Amino acid sequence: MTHDVSRRAVLKAAIGGGIVTPLLASCGALVPASDGPGSISVHTQLSGAVAGAQVFADVVAAYQRRTGRTVAQLKNGSDLPIVFETSTLAGKEADVAIVNMMGRTLGWTGAGATIPVTGLLDDWGLRDKIVPEALEEWTDGEGRLRAFPFTRTNWPVSFNTGLLEEAGVEIPTTSDELIAVADALRSRGIGPVTVGGSDWSGQKLFLQILQGFVSQEEARRVFSTGRLSESAGAVAGVEHFVELRDAGVFVDDVQGYTSDSELTQFNTRKAAIVPAMSSALALVPAERAKEVAVGGWPVPSSGGVLDRPSVIKSYNGHGIWISENGAEKLDLIKPFVQDLFSDAVTDAFILGSGRDMNRVTDTVSTDFPLVAQASRLTDDDVTPVMLPDLLIPDSVFEPMIKVTAMAYGSSASAERIVDAFEKSYDAA
Amino acid sequence: MARRTAALPLRDRIGSITSGTLAWIYAALLIVPFYYFIVSSFKDNEQIFESPLALPTTWDLSNFTTAIDQADLWLAVANSVLTTLFALLLTLVLALPASFALARARGRAGKVVEGVFALGFLIPSFAALFPTFLLAAALGLFHTRTFVVFLLPATALPLSVVILTSFMRTIPRELEEAASMDGATSLQVLRQVYLPICIPGIATVLLLNFLSFWNAYLYPLILIGPDTAQRTIQVALPTLKVDAGTDYGVLMAGTLFTLLPVYLVYTLLQRQMQRALLSGAVKG
Repeated sequence: MTHDVSRRAVLKAAIGGGIVTPLLASCGALVPASDGPGSISVHTQLSGAVAGAQVFADVVAAYQRRTGRTVAQLKNGSDLPIVFETSTLAGKEADVAIVNMMGRTLGWTGAGATIPVTGLLDDWGLRDKIVPEALEEWTDGEGRLRAFPFTRTNWPVSFNTGLLEEAGVEIPTTSDELIAVADALRSRGIGPVTVGGSDWSGQKLFLQILQGFVSQEEARRVFSTGRLSESAGAVAGVEHFVELRDAGVFVDDVQGYTSDSELTQFNTRKAAIVPAMSSALALVPAERAKEVAVGGWPVPSSGGVLDRPSVIKSYNGHGIWISENGAEKLDLIKPFVQDLFSDAVTDAFILGSGRDMNRVTDTVSTDFPLVAQASRLTDDDVTPVMLPDLLIPDSVFEPMIKVTAMAYGSSASAERIVDAFEKSYDAA
Repeated sequence: MARRTAALPLRDRIGSITSGTLAWIYAALLIVPFYYFIVSSFKDNEQIFESPLALPTTWDLSNFTTAIDQADLWLAVANSVLTTLFALLLTLVLALPASFALARARGRAGKVVEGVFALGFLIPSFAALFPTFLLAAALGLFHTRTFVVFLLPATALPLSVVILTSFMRTIPRELEEAASMDGATSLQVLRQVYLPICIPGIATVLLLNFLSFWNAYLYPLILIGPDTAQRTIQVALPTLKVDAGTDYGVLMAGTLFTLLPVYLVYTLLQRQMQRALLSGAVKG
């Protein structure tokens, strides 16, 4: 009996092993990305459903075919920074990371997780190819260029002219007009301005509205210190925000919406106005885009400092960061990065995905009309204001979003918002 | 049936109708979201938000193909299947002999060991993440499926051992003694006496652990990493969600890939699990 059992067990183990081992070994696709000689690994947020993901995959495939070199793609969405950081702790981070400059990534260069690319800019012949303002924005306080600025973003305001027409109104350019437009839209059962009140998109609009009352220099001081009460303009901005909110400018329950649900509301004609970044505009369906005009946030009717509707203008988007591991393979990374900044690849991103690029170029999107409209807005049409992400300390980011979410709620007074805003900086 | 209900006393009839109604409400609570998932996976955003519960106008599979392409879902499903299956197998290989020994143990040592297993419940999984990460790095198994295949059974052993031990304790010792008198070894007693009787308990352990392993997110995200050749479906799926402009039809289609295996496994094992629960109730 004992003999029989052990023989059977051995037989089963042999069959099991015989089936499983070739199964695992033969599934080439399930074999980890190669880290062999001549190959580099790229950890990218340009993946999944993100605008430009397919273009990037095609660009990498074409590069591999042309050069015969392997580029292993590692993909994450918003969880990329935490995965990259834990990989760094284990010394197994990718050679290159393509990720935006926000929150955790702001500390990468200082912590030595990625190398400054200041010196490589000229060595690799990229200085003249990248918009100078982008280089400035991506350079930290110690003069280190954190990464090669790749994509960028504008934050125009989109107006569904079809819905405005139904309500018998036109695109508002002042706050009084905006309140009148909101009233007209509400009377027709249409939501006015939708925004992600519970997340960073609501925070951006809140800070944009504040910038209607302060100079850019004062805004820099206010956003880096958080001392709203020491700036008469900032306090006026908060009061203006409360006035707009109480006048019903924002859709009902706006404090519960996210950056994703705001765009869905806009795309499904539930709301007529949305402030959304240009990469999101690339995802507006063509049928909807036909009835949309792109402009800026209406200027305050009185007491403001802006001449024209405002648009957040930023060179912050995805950057190409080189890790400590990548520093050992600069000879392999150089041609890959140079390829990403080539004319052909820049055109592929602009024309194929509607992305705004930091590469100097005259190419304008054709299949993404809203992105094209946004890129054509000049200083004669709108006044650019800053994206304050780089001024706000990392530890303040989340507490501040809680404050702005509270601000979109109907009961928060201007004093309470100012007080909570200042307290959110206490953690820094 | 109607006559039998009519013959029941009024109090029993009210109880029967109430419990029946509650059962249907509970069923609806489960079915409606599942129905919503299925119909939404054939719609675009406009249809999903305009008429959430209506049937789709077409049964176009493009959302499924888009989800598969964008998130490399076939690879992710294959990785989840591999990781889950091997982890389940390892869990059983370790938990069955351990439970068998604990169920047969009469001395104090057995109780102490059982207590040690139960202590596993006190460790919050999140708190173990960093030491686990260090262990993976030290073993050179960071960014591999292999480490997670070893880790998941470790997290599942306390519950598995407790369930199987209690189940095995209900088996009369006389059966084991009779087998021993026939010359069976301990391993043979386990395989030929205990295992057939423990099938409902094993099914329960398999089902509970399958749900836990299949749906694991944080550990596979950190320990297996972002390589599409290795990442599991729970790590791949979030790439279908973007900051602004998510195509919910595609996201729902992708989500169905994670839901269907759970549904299939539950359908296969539910009868055995119910039997295990019932036998516990009767014996209790």
